[in-house]
Amino acid sequence: MCRFFPLLLIVIVAVLAAGGFATAALGAEPPHATAEEHHLPLKPEVLFEVGRFAVTNSMLVTWIVAIGIIVFAQAATRNIKAIPTGKQNFLEWLVESLYNFLQNIIGADLVRKTFWFFATLFIFILFVNWFGLLPGVGTIGWGHRLADGGFHLDRPLLRGGNADLNMTSAMAIMFFALWLFWAVQAQGFGGVLVHIFGPKGESKGLMKIAMIGIFFVVGILEVVSILFRPISLSFRLYGNVYAGETILASMSTMVPSLAWLIPIPFYFMELLVGLVQAMVFMLLTAVFTLLIAQHDPGHEAHH
Amino acid sequence: MSGSIHIGLAALGAAIGVGLIGMGASSAVGRNPGAATPILVQAILAIAFAEAIVFYALYLAPK
Repeated sequence: MCRFFPLLLIVIVAVLAAGGFATAALGAEPPHATAEEHHLPLKPEVLFEVGRFAVTNSMLVTWIVAIGIIVFAQAATRNIKAIPTGKQNFLEWLVESLYNFLQNIIGADLVRKTFWFFATLFIFILFVNWFGLLPGVGTIGWGHRLADGGFHLDRPLLRGGNADLNMTSAMAIMFFALWLFWAVQAQGFGGVLVHIFGPKGESKGLMKIAMIGIFFVVGILEVVSILFRPISLSFRLYGNVYAGETILASMSTMVPSLAWLIPIPFYFMELLVGLVQAMVFMLLTAVFTLLIAQHDPGHEAHH
Repeated sequence: MSGSIHIGLAALGAAIGVGLIGMGASSAVGRNPGAATPILVQAILAIAFAEAIVFYALYLAPK
């Protein structure tokens, strides 16, 4: 592995040098064309308001997906058979493989308690991501005619649910509250504090006092990183989905005569990204829970 | 086309980091296929931390 590092450094230095020229070139460019380009807006559009409660196009998508999942789960479990077929078979396959996967990672005790949340997150995020790739999402809506005869879409009716920071941060904040609850449930309130601030490993005498001081400072860093978790969780999902939609939009406007062909490979990539990001969100939340809820690793070394 | 150079640099660093983690994880699974699940967990965690840098750069960027 060490052989790669000199090469890597050369690449970085080369890119930095090229970056210097690029900024000079960018600085010379007049700042136009930004208003004319049709960018995907960062935030969803408000469709209508009920009192002071605004309903946005991304909320509509999350509701449609949620209703779809609920109706499918009801239909699949209406008449349960010992030998499953069709819908029931699919649902059992999905839930069972998720359960076994999570059990391997966070252990049998924890998965029994937390499976409902992680499985729901995974299934919901996955289908919201994939729903956003259907034709018609983001392309049907209200707009206005342009002077040159074209059409500009101002308010699409539907927008990928996770391309909305409100949705992803709602999930991240809800996980954070549950994480706190599970942590206190597993360790007790003092146990959580000891887990974060307490010294790890074994030491004697004066070393012990020094270790307590050091691990207290480490604990403060730990608190900062814990507080950053909901932010990075929500921005990761939002950033990936939003960037995917932007790529699809710009790929289909790049060459007008080939608009039907160029986005196709990117649609396959977005299918993969949708799956991977659902997996990452579930795995990260599960591992964060495992980290706080498991008992001291030093403790187990004695057995 | 226009953009911010520091977001580009953050993306470059994160990409190198994710690549190194992926390389390490796949060679680890190659050596010890039985440990695939714990390695996956470690790799996903490490990739998540490396990747988060880009989002900090993206959202701390002056608009």
